[in-house]
Amino acid sequence: MNDYIAISKMLVEIGILWFVYYVILMFARGTRGVYVLRGIILITIFFIITKQLNLERINWIFTKLFALSILAFLIIFQQEIRRGLANIGQRRWSRFFLKESEIISEIASACFLLSRKKIGALIAIERETRLENYIESGIEIDAKVNSELLMTIFTPNTPLHDGGIVISGDRITTTGCLFPLTQNPKVSSNLGTRHRAALGISEETDAIVVIVSEETGGVSVAIAGRLTHDLDREAMERVLSNLYRPDKKGKK
Amino acid sequence: MNNWFFNNFWIKIVSLILAVITWFYVNEEIVKEKHMTKQLYKSSIINRVQIPSYGVKPIK
Repeated sequence: MNDYIAISKMLVEIGILWFVYYVILMFARGTRGVYVLRGIILITIFFIITKQLNLERINWIFTKLFALSILAFLIIFQQEIRRGLANIGQRRWSRFFLKESEIISEIASACFLLSRKKIGALIAIERETRLENYIESGIEIDAKVNSELLMTIFTPNTPLHDGGIVISGDRITTTGCLFPLTQNPKVSSNLGTRHRAALGISEETDAIVVIVSEETGGVSVAIAGRLTHDLDREAMERVLSNLYRPDKKGKK
Repeated sequence: MNNWFFNNFWIKIVSLILAVITWFYVNEEIVKEKHMTKQLYKSSIINRVQIPSYGVKPIK
């Protein structure tokens, strides 16, 4: 009986540790911090090995450095920790309640109104891969997705209209983000910078990117380095609703 | 369920490996600590330390 209790306690403890590690790794994914985290994990494993091998001097140095590394960890991950705590407080829980159809409808409305006025737009919708690297290059706004706000952001000659915006869950997190341009030599030379940036970020992440062309007013969607041109509203809403939440709808 | 399992599969595996390593490492440290404490009791070091011989006068 005692054995069963001990084993179940062990499983519960390992489960808790697994969850903590999983959350940390998922959180660090797609940020600059992932490389630091990888380094810390390697050093920790090395530390455990030296301890097992009784390499006392090396172990002594590691023990002394460990206290310093906690301080370094807090400094290096300062931004991520702050953002993570804020997320726990607000955004992540709202994902359980968000209505994706409403968000898609708001995005589609904005895109087709912008298209009619031939105003360019670049919208990256975050899925599994975090877009932290690109968020850092923009201006944080953290507002609920709505078509009027999207139109206001992309209105020419306003301070925020340059660059792309990132939508995460039901929030517009950042505007004026710089996305990497595609390096694919097969991409048509007729494509402008906005479309190239959309392709670039869709190659590097699993984000869905919606583009409104300034020249033609055409609405396109870029996913996994592929561009689908000139969608009508119905087709765009269908594409977005199929891909917006991969955990729910199944991956492409 | 299947989808949940295969989403971020490698992150889940790495987390599990780290969790198991951490658990065994901490467990070993706890066992060592307990063992050392027992030894201290056995060698009656603690008993000697606890003898009120440092100027502490019993309350009358």
